[in-house]
Amino acid sequence: MSAPPPDNPFDDLFSLLRPDRLLRHPLATGEGISVCILDSGIERAAVESKFQRLGQTILPIEGGVFTAERVEPLPYEGHQSTPHGTTVADILLTLAPRIRLYSADVFGPRGTCQVEVLIRALRWATNVWQCKVINLSLGVPEPRLQPMQRRHQLLRAVEEAYYKDVLLVAAADNEHPLTRSYPAAFAPSLLSVDKGRFDDPLAFAYRLNESVEFQARGVGYMGPFASEPATSWAAPHLAGIVARLLSLRPNMKLFEIKAMLYWIYQSLERSGTP
Amino acid sequence: MPTDSASVETILIVDDEEAVRRTFGEWLESADLGCDVVVAKDAESALKHANHHTIDLAILDWNLGAGNDGLHLLEDLTLFHPDVSAIMITGFAHQATPLQAMRMGVRDYLDKNQDLDRTTFLKVVGRQLERIRPARRARRLHRELMAFRSAVEKVLPLVQSAAALHEPLPLPAAVGNLIRFLTRTTGATDGVLLVRDYDAQRHPSEMCRAYDGTGRRLDAPLVPFARSLAGSVVSMQKPSVMVDLDRVADAGNLELQPFEHGRASLLAAPMNVAPGVQVVLELFDKQSAGGSSTFREEDRLLVAAAADFAEDLLRQALAERQMHRVLFDAIEAALGASASMAESLEGAAPRPDEPPPAVVLQRLRQGLDEDAVKAEMTLRLAESIRVLALRHGSPAVQHCIGLVENLRQLLDEMTGETRS
Repeated sequence: MSAPPPDNPFDDLFSLLRPDRLLRHPLATGEGISVCILDSGIERAAVESKFQRLGQTILPIEGGVFTAERVEPLPYEGHQSTPHGTTVADILLTLAPRIRLYSADVFGPRGTCQVEVLIRALRWATNVWQCKVINLSLGVPEPRLQPMQRRHQLLRAVEEAYYKDVLLVAAADNEHPLTRSYPAAFAPSLLSVDKGRFDDPLAFAYRLNESVEFQARGVGYMGPFASEPATSWAAPHLAGIVARLLSLRPNMKLFEIKAMLYWIYQSLERSGTP
Repeated sequence: MPTDSASVETILIVDDEEAVRRTFGEWLESADLGCDVVVAKDAESALKHANHHTIDLAILDWNLGAGNDGLHLLEDLTLFHPDVSAIMITGFAHQATPLQAMRMGVRDYLDKNQDLDRTTFLKVVGRQLERIRPARRARRLHRELMAFRSAVEKVLPLVQSAAALHEPLPLPAAVGNLIRFLTRTTGATDGVLLVRDYDAQRHPSEMCRAYDGTGRRLDAPLVPFARSLAGSVVSMQKPSVMVDLDRVADAGNLELQPFEHGRASLLAAPMNVAPGVQVVLELFDKQSAGGSSTFREEDRLLVAAAADFAEDLLRQALAERQMHRVLFDAIEAALGASASMAESLEGAAPRPDEPPPAVVLQRLRQGLDEDAVKAEMTLRLAESIRVLALRHGSPAVQHCIGLVENLRQLLDEMTGETRS
């Protein structure tokens, strides 16, 4: 009777490389990853109570309210300027419940977002909060980036984030037939996301298009208009997926994340599971 | 009446002696006081000049000859120039009728026989000019402000009527038309337009208004923008659809407006009108042939296009209203500023009933009894009569004189005193 063949020492390693193993790994929770949501603030109590009901404990949400008048943000007191940001936060925490979440309220009580405030918040999230991932479920239409200098300032802020190893996930508001939406249109130095029809929150697709690379699930779970397909909800889905992957290997670069997302998508497509 | 619009003060010298006129004129010219100097040999030529030109300071001979005296001339000059000041040249100061002199505006005396030389003359004139100049500037400014107010008050009604004419469409009417059009084309049951205006400097900072499909403003209390569907759709930056509104409101971060409760479906569109002003159109409860249904993609696209159009309409209406508001505010501010300045100038300018200068009182004392007590009483009486005359005119003084004479007669009869 012959002896059983020795275990292949790489089997375990290769088995980890299956997309499902990576995305649904027990340790892929977002643990150790700081994520900033540049949006309309987060109603902290509403989010906390929802996850409490689900038996999950989330880390305390911190943040600030950014205004045109001040260099430093006003203190975040746990409230939203509009419900939009809370829906985004809920999606991110649904996918990656152990992330450390920062709320950068760039709308504030005025209810409108100025490009300069957006840039200020972007830099604050990068340099002060030192977030690894920044979610932007908002877009600035091209006409509002006039004069050209303003567009350059936004581009520079996005590039600064890239060179500081920060991953920007931006909603590609690509519905308008003529104008482009920024910063998603700065696609090479960030992750631009369109909405897709996926049932699984962890599903996504690589769809290289004009200024768009990825698609993710376009519906949310909490708050007004959450069931309306929107790129606003697709961005935090991809940001959540990225946070999960980063919690397995926190030092991955943007191009590594893009390559991994591409590989996962290709693998799943080949196996017929997307 | 002539005005003192000239940029420099005018000094009028009136003396019947040619040598005196020439000397005074030369002293003034050589001192380079920055004034115009006019000379007149008698009252008639002085008054002719005063009829057409401003006179700020009159240097008058007490005795002009031909039966005229300086005090009468001054009385006539004040008819042309109520604020004119005078320096009286006299050798008989102690004989002067001081009360009248004070009333007429005599501010100083120069005694031909005692202290009249170039130095004392220029000193007295300089002192009067120092007093006259600020008051004159204040009067001129006051007049200009009054002219400004008058002009603005004439313009204001014209501006207001022009604003009314140029207003392209009353806002509620435009809103009503828009809502009716979209309600009909999308099949919505009804619609509401929410306007939110935020100004950090105002209290309360947030003001929300809602208009229904007829353009009528809804009176119901509205929930804060931060917790509203309208706030959410503004952040969505595009027209969005929702169903079963009451169920979504359970999320804990949303409150429905009174007119949103019980709605089966909603199509909401944001309009970017101006910084700090958010406008959201909400259409409710789509109905189709089969009954209740939800808004479709074509409805959303139609509303998106209409919202772009409405955005321009509202932006234009708002800009015009803001322009008019700014204009009205500017005019009101200018009127307010001119009123307060005129008030303060009136307070600063010398008033006709202010006490006579100390130098005049001193002269009066010299001409009165040496007894200090009597002199003080006489001065008090003189001052009382002066104020009476200023406030109530000559009839009051005549009445006062009558009373005093009656009292004197009564006392004379009682005491047997017959001395006049």
